[in-house]
Amino acid sequence: MSLFTQPIGLTHYLVVGAILFAAGVVCMVTKRNAIGVLMGIELVLNGANLNFVAFANPALRADPGRAVAWMDGHMIALFVIVLAAAEAAVALAIVLSFYHNHASVDVDEADELKG
Amino acid sequence: MDLSTTLPILLGLAWLLPLASFALVVLFGPWMGRRGVGAGYLATGAIAAAFVLSFVALLGWLGQHGLASGEHGAHADPIPPVAGEWYALGTFGALTITIGYYIDSLTLVMFMMVTLVATCIHVYSFGYMHEELGVVTDPLVTRANGRPLKRRGRFHRFYQYFSLFCFSMLGLVLAGNVAMVFVFWELVGICSYLLIGFYIERQSASNAANKAFIVNRVGDFGMLIGMMVLWSTLGTFSFSGIFEQVRPAASGHALVVPDGMVRAAAADEVERIVLANPNPAIAERNIAAQVPAWREAGHGRWLLIVAGLGIFCGCVGKSAQFPLHVWLPDAMEGPTPVSALIHAATMVAAGVYLVGRFYPVFTPEVLLVIACVGAITLFMAATIAITATDIKRVLAYSTVSQLGYMMLGLGVGGWVAGLFHLITHAFFKSLLFLGSGSVIHACGTNEMPRMGGLRRKMPWTAGTMLVGALAISGAGIPLLIGLSGYHSKDAILAQVFAFRKDNPGQGDLLFWIAAMGAAITAFYMFRLWYMTFAGEPRDAHAAAHAHESPRSMVAPLVVLAALAVVGGWNVPWTGLGVRPLVDQARPLGTEVGMTAPAAAIPAESASHEPAIHRIVSWIAFFAALGGFLVATGFYGLRQLDPEKVRRVLAPVHWFLKNKWFFDELYRWVFVRPTLAAARVVAALDRIVLDGLAHGAAGLVRLVSRLDDLIDRLIVDRLVNAVGEWTYATGLRLRAVQSGNLRQYVMWIAVGTVGLFVLVSLFWNYAAAGN
Amino acid sequence: MPDLNSPIVFLSLIVFLPAAAALALGFVPGGWGDRIKGFAFATTVAVFLLTVWLALPGGGADSMRFALGDGQMQKTVSVDWIPSFNVYYFLGIDGISLPLVVLTSFLSMLAMAASFTIQRHVKAYCILFLLLETGMLGVFMALDFFLFYVLWEVMLLPMYFLIGVWGGPRREYAAIKFFLFTLAGSVLMLIAILMLYFASDVRKLPQARWDACHLSSDVTARARIDATGEPVHTFNLLALAEMGRLENSPFDKELLWGKSIQWWAFLLLLVGFLVKVPAVPIHTWLPDAHVEAPTPISMILAGVLLKMGGYGIIRICYPICPDAAYELAWLVCGIGAVSMVYGALAAMAQKDFKRLVAYSSVSHMGYVVLGLGVWSITPGNLLATDYWKLGMNGAMFQMIAHGISSAGMFFLVGVIYDRVHHRDLDRFGGLFAKMPVYSGISMVIFFAALGLPGLCGFIGEVFVVLSVWKYSTALAVVAASVVILTAGYILWTIQRVYLGPEYKGPHGEAITRMTRREIAIAAPLVALAIVLGVYPRALLDYTKPSVAQTVDNLAGWMERVKLPELRDRAAMEERARP
Repeated sequence: MSLFTQPIGLTHYLVVGAILFAAGVVCMVTKRNAIGVLMGIELVLNGANLNFVAFANPALRADPGRAVAWMDGHMIALFVIVLAAAEAAVALAIVLSFYHNHASVDVDEADELKG
Repeated sequence: MDLSTTLPILLGLAWLLPLASFALVVLFGPWMGRRGVGAGYLATGAIAAAFVLSFVALLGWLGQHGLASGEHGAHADPIPPVAGEWYALGTFGALTITIGYYIDSLTLVMFMMVTLVATCIHVYSFGYMHEELGVVTDPLVTRANGRPLKRRGRFHRFYQYFSLFCFSMLGLVLAGNVAMVFVFWELVGICSYLLIGFYIERQSASNAANKAFIVNRVGDFGMLIGMMVLWSTLGTFSFSGIFEQVRPAASGHALVVPDGMVRAAAADEVERIVLANPNPAIAERNIAAQVPAWREAGHGRWLLIVAGLGIFCGCVGKSAQFPLHVWLPDAMEGPTPVSALIHAATMVAAGVYLVGRFYPVFTPEVLLVIACVGAITLFMAATIAITATDIKRVLAYSTVSQLGYMMLGLGVGGWVAGLFHLITHAFFKSLLFLGSGSVIHACGTNEMPRMGGLRRKMPWTAGTMLVGALAISGAGIPLLIGLSGYHSKDAILAQVFAFRKDNPGQGDLLFWIAAMGAAITAFYMFRLWYMTFAGEPRDAHAAAHAHESPRSMVAPLVVLAALAVVGGWNVPWTGLGVRPLVDQARPLGTEVGMTAPAAAIPAESASHEPAIHRIVSWIAFFAALGGFLVATGFYGLRQLDPEKVRRVLAPVHWFLKNKWFFDELYRWVFVRPTLAAARVVAALDRIVLDGLAHGAAGLVRLVSRLDDLIDRLIVDRLVNAVGEWTYATGLRLRAVQSGNLRQYVMWIAVGTVGLFVLVSLFWNYAAAGN
Repeated sequence: MPDLNSPIVFLSLIVFLPAAAALALGFVPGGWGDRIKGFAFATTVAVFLLTVWLALPGGGADSMRFALGDGQMQKTVSVDWIPSFNVYYFLGIDGISLPLVVLTSFLSMLAMAASFTIQRHVKAYCILFLLLETGMLGVFMALDFFLFYVLWEVMLLPMYFLIGVWGGPRREYAAIKFFLFTLAGSVLMLIAILMLYFASDVRKLPQARWDACHLSSDVTARARIDATGEPVHTFNLLALAEMGRLENSPFDKELLWGKSIQWWAFLLLLVGFLVKVPAVPIHTWLPDAHVEAPTPISMILAGVLLKMGGYGIIRICYPICPDAAYELAWLVCGIGAVSMVYGALAAMAQKDFKRLVAYSSVSHMGYVVLGLGVWSITPGNLLATDYWKLGMNGAMFQMIAHGISSAGMFFLVGVIYDRVHHRDLDRFGGLFAKMPVYSGISMVIFFAALGLPGLCGFIGEVFVVLSVWKYSTALAVVAASVVILTAGYILWTIQRVYLGPEYKGPHGEAITRMTRREIAIAAPLVALAIVLGVYPRALLDYTKPSVAQTVDNLAGWMERVKLPELRDRAAMEERARP
């Protein structure tokens, strides 16, 4: 049974989320620009968010009756958004200061953490 | 007049006046009059007022009681003492220690004597201590730079101590219980200490002061033991309380071992009864029933003896009896008025007084000890006095000897005789001391070999001292009349003679010692008088310097000389005199003799048998006459040469000159061992006890060092090895930490995927529980 | 405004006012030397006044003045402190502790006045001094064993620093010696405390006695509920004493080598307290500590700290462990008598003025131990309590008298040391001429130590000595003989220091008359020495009821518990005999 023949269900959301997540990871690994890495992070976070929201939707669940009060997924998604914003702010600050020091935003140059 | 209220007030006031004087002089002494001369007036005024008060008290007493009882007769109706308490130092259940009074005619006589003699000596001291008003140069003390010491005078301090002494002495006489006696006993001791050491700059003076106090403390040690016995067996210190128990009216005032002592001695039996009877009342009844049997078996008698001996021990110290007599001669380092007041008339007589006061408690055994101690003392001191050349030391040994007489008299049952001699002795001995002070004041030396021929320069002193010498020798017309010493010494000798009748062996010895002592007394007294006043001056410088003393010093001499003459007489037609007055105070039950295996103590009335009286009077007369004649032969007429005798009896002279070697003996037997013990203890402390502490500390440190070694060699190495291994591992793993961000992400992604692969490969649904 | 008439405020104020002042001093710059001393002195004066107010007679239940004639604990305070371990903040005073409290505050005041010569680290000195005072006052008031122990230790540390920092040349040695000896003693005490605590059980006490012990309602509630369950332990000294006197005392259980818990506890406590007294042979810290300590600290050390040992024995050892005390009374008395002789002999051999005074303390405190121990309530004496009361009162009196005379002596030694900077007895002499007032005061104080009638030392010594015969003849003779030795070393000292033609040592030019401040410190001591000597009831009226109660309690125990036991034993022996 192909996904394309099915009505839109939980699986579809999960697939989209997975694609987003994978794209994010690939972006993080391949981009040398720090901003690009940050974008990859956003993608990963949003991929995860999509999963949370999908799981939280009563319409998509197998036991919709019990799910009325389950707002956890939405809550966490909101948290993630806030977290992403905060993370972006901090990360951008780091990048900015990195740029000040190195006159570049190439993450490969940032190997001060080398053990 | 109600004596029971007025007497305590009068005598209490007389007692406290010197204290007030003392307190005022302590606080304001140096500012009283010119250079503190006012202190002297204040102190003298206080003691004179005390004398007046005592006199009033005596008059009151006589007005009430007259001479109710005939001399030595059985008491028709015994006069009860006025006894009571002022306040309690502490009360513990039935036990109480109080400040109280016990007033009978003996107290009054003592008050009269003390205040009278003290007043005389206070007045005398104005002259004698005159130098102390200015700057004093003490020739006996040289400073480090070789010059004699100059110091400010201490006139007020002298009177300050005197006042304190008078207060203490009167308190001692007034005391209503043994504890209070002990309190004032110590206080007179400290006054004596302060006054002997009055010339604080002189090493010899402070040594003598220390010696006096410490030797007295040896006596006090015994006294404390006696007090402890009384206290823990009788539960009271008050004279009345003790006498009631020791000589209960039920037994006709005969001496019995009190219940308390019987019980204390039979503590084991008491314990058995208590343990056998759970009911305390029954136990108590059983014990009470057993007490007479225990007493019969001799339980508790030793306690009575120990109590008596203990109290007597204190008296031995205070009255300078053998073997504690050594302090008194040294005490002559003090100013002469001090010697006269404290070390002749009053304080040293306190021991005799206490023996008299405590008389009802003494068993025949104790009395025998007292008599023997007295006899030994009187003989030994008299022999030493023969060879002494320091005028004050002669008198000091004479004092010791006379105190021995008193003890002897008391010991053989002569209660009145002993105390009578105490009073007369106070008069003539203070007279002699003041006379000697007058001489010393005049010629600036104590040594008799440097005196001589002073009678022309100092007629008053010479005359009064002759009276004193006659009085102490017991001069008189046998069986008729004599100076005061004649009456009192004869009474003692007669009593010893009576004692001899009952106890042939010991009695003979005691009597002949006493009689020989009388001869020696006359000898050394006239030796003293002749060497000082008769013949020609031996030291021209001293003689030229000599002069009669000022009136303030002569007047007391005359007063005391008069007393030395008449002190033993009764006022004509009234029968009033010291002796009958003292007799009024005779403790109940002591008018009859006592018998014990050790000795039989005769009743005092026994010595009044004409047979005894006559013989003794003549023996005493001839003994004194013999002594007088020998002294005249040697020193008066100079027909015999003392040097020759000295050569013949060289060993004896050497022995006597060194005072029977008591000082050396004590130094080697007591002082040095004590100091050695002190050093041993100090060393023990430093070496052994501290050594133990240090050893323990050292051991702990050793253990800690060992521990440290183990720590470093074993524990540390193990820990370090673990650390190094971890470090090496870390080094190897550091390659992974490239620092490349993208690589990290790569690792994460690959790692996650890898994990998932692994999980999906090995996940077992069954095991997961679904 | 807190109510000054409530014990908790008043007693806590007394105890913690010095600590609070010390805390306040912590925020003051160290450079304010004299002002700091002034403040500390003012604090000690305030505390002294508070204790004097406490000691004024005529108080009732609602007043903070002492109810004279009442032997019970008064002005008690009991507040939760660590309730899970039954530890309470429990204070109170009676006739035994009150005189010592007043003595403490009095001597602290004088010692602080004597501290004005201290120049180094003034702030630290004052802080430590005030903390020390809090500890001392607290020890005498604490009725909870744990609190007692804590305060006991609180006192230790400041003392260590006061000796170790402000002392003489060998101060470190002396301080560490003092610290180790005392600590060893207090560790033994701690063991005993725990032994007694875990053996104690409030439920065994009759409920009627709970109130008298001031047990907290919390504890009593548990004791009531848990009548069958776990034992309810307590640190309450009064309750422990009551338990010790029970017929089947929880402390009677065997612990080791056939001896009961109370036997061991008594021994441990006794050693702990005897270190402090100090008694031979655990006294050697004292001479060193005294020689090295600065003058005011010597005053405190001799005047107050030594008394804690005696106080512990009378308050804790005897009441809590009567059976052991009955068995070991010979040990206590023996140690007392030995200390008397030993201290006197050792004093005689000293060359250092301060060492001599220190050893005289050993001798004088021997009287205290002896007087406390004379167990005269034996069947052979028909359980006569009076002699023991005499002895114990004598011991109490001796403690106070020694507090006065020894503090005075140390101060006087300090006065001359400040001038000539040596203490060699053979290099003094002739001070009488140069310092008449000083010498006069010294005479009085030394004579007080000598036990001269009319001065404070006499009463205590004589009371103790008189009480001994009833307990033991031999000890009585030994005790009486000490009067000779005492006279010997004191008079010899006076002779070497004050008499003689001239001063023999160095710095003769520095000998000046006593300053007004010095006289002001010595004068109260002299006055007290005379007042107590002439009118001992001023003190005895306080101590007597409480001492009587202590002794009567023990006599009651003797009659109720021990006598039947002895009877049984006697009967058994009787039967064993053919």
